[in-house]
Amino acid sequence: MEVVIASSPVDAGIGCWDLHSGAEQLRYRSCTSTPHGLACVGQRFLVSSQLRDSSSSSGTILYWSWNKPQVEVKSFPAEPIHPLISNSDGTYIIGGGSSGAIYFWEVASGRLLKRWHAHYRAATCLFLSDDESLLVSGAEDGCIRVWSLFMVFDDIGMEMAKHPYEYSFSEHTLRVTDVVSGYGGCNAIIVSASEDRTCKVWSLSRGKLLRSIDFPSIIDAVALDPGEHVFYAGARDGKIYIAALNAESTPSNIYGKHIIGSLSDNSKGVTCLAFSMDGILLVSGSEDGTIRVWDAKTRNIVRIFRLAKGPINNVLVVRRPLYSNFQTSANSHASLSRRHVPLLPPPLSKYVNSTDEIVDSGAITVPQTPSSDIMDAPYLSSHVLTKQISELQQQSSAATGMEVDRLKLDCKRSLEMVQKWKEMFADLHKFCVDELLGNDQTQTQ
Amino acid sequence: MAVFEHFQNLYDIRLKPRLLRSLIRDRVPDEKHPFSKPSELSIVVSAVKNHGLLSESSREAVDPKHMENWKSSIDAWIERLLLLVSSKMPDKCWAGICLLGLTCQECSSDRFLASYSVWFQKLLAQIQPPSDSHFVKVASCASLADLFTRLSGFSNIKKDVTSHAGKLIQPVLKLLTDDSSGAVWEGAVDLLCSIINFFPSSVHRHYESVEAAIVSKIMSGKCDSNISKKFVHCLALLPRSKGDEDSWSLMLQKILISINVDLNDAFQGLEEETKSNEVIKHLVPPGKEPPPPLGGNKMQGETSNQATEMSEQLILHRISMLMLCCCRMLTNPYPAQVIVPVRPLLVLVGRVLMVDGSLSQSLLPFLTVMQREFICSELPLLHLCGLDLLTGIIKRVRSQLLPHAADVVRLLTEYFRRCALPALRVKVYSILRILLISMGVGMAQYLAQEVVSNALVDLDSIAHGCGEASSTPCSKAASEGLLLPSYRKRKHGTITGFSEEQQGGVGTEMEAVKGKPITPIAVQTAALQALEALLTVGGALRSECWRQNVDLLLITVATNASNGGWANEEKDIFLLSDEPTSTRTDFQLAALRALLASLLSPARVRPPYLSQGLELFRRGKQETGTKVAEFCAHALLALEVLMHPRALPLVNFPSGDHPDFGQGFNCKFPKNIFSSGLKNNSPFPRGILGKDEIEPESNDDELYSSWLGNDEETEASASIPDKHLESRQELSEKDGRLSTEDHQAEKHPSDLPAGAQFPKEGDRGATDAAHMETGGIKDSIMAQSERVQEIIPNNDVRLQDKDVMVPTGDLTANVVEPNKGKIESSGSDSSKATPALSSEINNKVLMAAADANALPSDQGSLLTTSIVIEKGKKLVLEYNSDASKDSFPDIVDGEPDSD
Repeated sequence: MEVVIASSPVDAGIGCWDLHSGAEQLRYRSCTSTPHGLACVGQRFLVSSQLRDSSSSSGTILYWSWNKPQVEVKSFPAEPIHPLISNSDGTYIIGGGSSGAIYFWEVASGRLLKRWHAHYRAATCLFLSDDESLLVSGAEDGCIRVWSLFMVFDDIGMEMAKHPYEYSFSEHTLRVTDVVSGYGGCNAIIVSASEDRTCKVWSLSRGKLLRSIDFPSIIDAVALDPGEHVFYAGARDGKIYIAALNAESTPSNIYGKHIIGSLSDNSKGVTCLAFSMDGILLVSGSEDGTIRVWDAKTRNIVRIFRLAKGPINNVLVVRRPLYSNFQTSANSHASLSRRHVPLLPPPLSKYVNSTDEIVDSGAITVPQTPSSDIMDAPYLSSHVLTKQISELQQQSSAATGMEVDRLKLDCKRSLEMVQKWKEMFADLHKFCVDELLGNDQTQTQ
Repeated sequence: MAVFEHFQNLYDIRLKPRLLRSLIRDRVPDEKHPFSKPSELSIVVSAVKNHGLLSESSREAVDPKHMENWKSSIDAWIERLLLLVSSKMPDKCWAGICLLGLTCQECSSDRFLASYSVWFQKLLAQIQPPSDSHFVKVASCASLADLFTRLSGFSNIKKDVTSHAGKLIQPVLKLLTDDSSGAVWEGAVDLLCSIINFFPSSVHRHYESVEAAIVSKIMSGKCDSNISKKFVHCLALLPRSKGDEDSWSLMLQKILISINVDLNDAFQGLEEETKSNEVIKHLVPPGKEPPPPLGGNKMQGETSNQATEMSEQLILHRISMLMLCCCRMLTNPYPAQVIVPVRPLLVLVGRVLMVDGSLSQSLLPFLTVMQREFICSELPLLHLCGLDLLTGIIKRVRSQLLPHAADVVRLLTEYFRRCALPALRVKVYSILRILLISMGVGMAQYLAQEVVSNALVDLDSIAHGCGEASSTPCSKAASEGLLLPSYRKRKHGTITGFSEEQQGGVGTEMEAVKGKPITPIAVQTAALQALEALLTVGGALRSECWRQNVDLLLITVATNASNGGWANEEKDIFLLSDEPTSTRTDFQLAALRALLASLLSPARVRPPYLSQGLELFRRGKQETGTKVAEFCAHALLALEVLMHPRALPLVNFPSGDHPDFGQGFNCKFPKNIFSSGLKNNSPFPRGILGKDEIEPESNDDELYSSWLGNDEETEASASIPDKHLESRQELSEKDGRLSTEDHQAEKHPSDLPAGAQFPKEGDRGATDAAHMETGGIKDSIMAQSERVQEIIPNNDVRLQDKDVMVPTGDLTANVVEPNKGKIESSGSDSSKATPALSSEINNKVLMAAADANALPSDQGSLLTTSIVIEKGKKLVLEYNSDASKDSFPDIVDGEPDSD
């Protein structure tokens, strides 16, 4: 089931709707998310970093499982975390702190595997490249950096390298509001948006700026068309601009160079965008508390969901596994959740723990159902049969053993037979003798 | 009688009982007659399987009478089998058991469910003491395994079956401990595996005893390697019977400790003593009790007694088997969440791989020469196991390898540098490949240098064609003499060029074979595959330093592999035994695959060997019916996109554009004249060029359709007279003018209010007009010519040219340089004609164009838009429907809604 989930900086909970039917699902309570601070971890549960009043020094990260509205796990990292993402396996959660540090947690154990200083100012957005080996981070000072996760974990390599990041882009002059990266591994492009009213397109393979597009308004959200023909930019003036990547564009249409159109619903500012799996439905969240689903092909609104009065700052489209569906009977559901859905992992730890370095270091793997085994389980007996037949024909020892047994039994039976015949012969003989003798006697009589 | 009934054909259901009855009559033994020909049974088996004689089902509805008949014949069959199973004659009993196993597999579900417990009892009796024939026991085990395999499909009777299976464990263990025949062990362990697989909970109660029995078999080293592997497999499955995290972890921990202990014995004197503590330190946290030894305490006692007399051979056997077991445990799916102790596993692998038989300084005197010789002879096998284990770890932990990736890479690269044996190198290459594919770009950056330098060495013998190499001896094993001619020939071919065929290669390869190391074909194949993976994953990022070399290497190797190659493939099959033939095909395939990767992997310029590559694939495709041909067809398909790159819009995107423009019209008429008139603007690369004057970009392409559109327009223009021709030309020329406009636009603040752009655009229209005369003729020339280099005379032309060229996807530096020049010059001579004039011309032309041919491209559709400017919206719709832009009306309807 493909669902839209959305959260808000005011406490309106996390809304969840079936994208295709429009039916609202469970609403998860008490969430005041930061921008880019909502993620779904490996389709298993939701996680969100929370806005806190500035007085408390630590941040808050909350977990919700799919089928319970209450917060299930609370973690308190060392500082407020703003953006939050998870890899597609759901093994790691990466968060960007207000000091500019990036935190890297292992989900299953909650251990903080790594924390490193990525930026001079608070991190505002994070994105994993499509092979999940590179991390792109944007910060308040307009800096965008590309990190190789391998490098981050390779202390030795890190020391030898000139700088810990792969690239550092500083062309944006103000706060970076969103970063997305496209398809194509090392040849992908990165699109970033900033409060300086530009979106910039970068080449990952070259580490250079390819294009800078000026927008009439500040862009807060960027979504790439899955075909990377265009990208969509949600602006504070309430429009979603369509900007050209591979598409042709007129340099001078009403909005500006490279901008070839817009989606508009006279709404308040667009704060977040997400594409559905089919790449046609574009979901946007707005300051006015509504979520609009657009058909990118016809540019019409297909659906509107309403979360709250306040603004929305996160929208995701995720595939929600069916087993957590409530329609399943209570019984099978219980057994399923016991077997396949482990309880939520422990909270994320605050510090990198160096003392148990030696003992730890286990990778926790998710359970796998050996279902395929049954399907391709081979039947043995015909193999064994053919093998044994060939053995028999080659007169191997085991075969001879059986032959001997057989012969013994044959022999025994033959002996019995002989015995029988003997007896019969004796009987007959006796009978004949008796007969003859009897005759003689009668004759003689 | 039913037997005499007629049947229609092969598929007639009436045939089945007939066949079955005659089988029972003629081929299946019975009590009375001696059973002379066991081979008859295989005929029975194949007849039953092929015709589905026991299936009791038919695809179409059948007369119940026939079904009844069939049913009764099967009843007779089973009756006979049960009779045979109880027979005192072992051979008949054996035949009955085998056929009963077949019946378990083949009969209908209803029948199976009704009678499986009877069959189970019958078979169970056969593996217990009174029977003593090995044959019977093995066959019973196999039939029982089949019985449980079939039962696993019925979930509703699980409880019942589990209790049945539970009864079986003791007798099976007895078979393992008491019997001495390898065949019986094999049968028993197979049965045990099926039970653990399908009904794990039945083994639960016997967990320890099963573990002890299996471990003792593995440790004894008495069985041959095949059966040992089955035991190992069974041991790896065993934790599944409990199905919880602890038993899995405990088992792995015990095995690792056991391996470690054995390694201490094996590597005495070959490594620092501290090594063993390192693994233990990771395995057993300080202050915690170590787990009981593998196989229980009794086992420990036994082994320690034996330890003194244990041969080196046995130790190494045990180590390799236990490592295999670890590997199996890692790769088999497990129903619960488990913690994989990555660090200890890696330390263990590292420990094994780092021993190379050299003596550690401090411990010199402990080792006799004999011992060392033996260890060295067995080390490759051990390394192979270590590498397998490493593969298992990587496969299991997937993305969670990340924190350890650097360690793995360092371990591998260090090992790779020293590793010289072919089998090991193949394995290392395959691990590198897995790492590259699974971990993506980041890993590619780490591994690139290593993969490339090693592959260069390994492929040197075939790749290094000319100069020294042609005089230096070819490096082929004598055993591969048959393969040599073609390679040899290829070498010379490379030097002179790809087209040139060398004669007399056969003579040259007999040259001396000394000097260079021999690289077996399997290693070369593996090296090619690793290169392919590298190019696939990380061909573009920081690849400048090796990319050129690799591209050259791959085209050379592929050409070489093909030259003498696939024409002779058929011949090879007859000449050589199967194996070398297959590796030869593999090699060719690997070479072609790597070549394709090198052509497709992103680059800034046209792949230098594109045409040679295409030629190779075209030739390969002609090898009808081979894998090579299949792959070549695939490669040509993939390369087609390289020739004609397409940036495909979302369905009907161009027309989807219209409502926007159309809407614009309604309120802001004048602007749109220009925006539509100037429509064909600024695809990605231009923007880039305009932006920061960096080197040419090739990662983006002109729209294929715009290329087509350009062409078509040009043709159309030829048919339009005079003024129309000129202005028409202007339109097509706009393609070329793009960068100019980009450039201009750059100079204006681009976030001007929309209205402010009017004059600027007017200028642009004028620019176009000003250039139209010159552009006119050149353009048509351009459209015809395909090569950049041919057209240099005119600036305008070159711009046009670029449009033509870009779609081929190989914008080279020298093509673009001139373009930049052009941008400046045309920028300066813009704004000569008046905007009004140009727009008028423009529109007329557009009309003409639309009349002449409904252009299929989006350019065409945009043309129609500008017509709208004059004719009104109605006309737009008309034109658009003409041009069959289906979705257009929809969108027009849709827009007001969304407003």
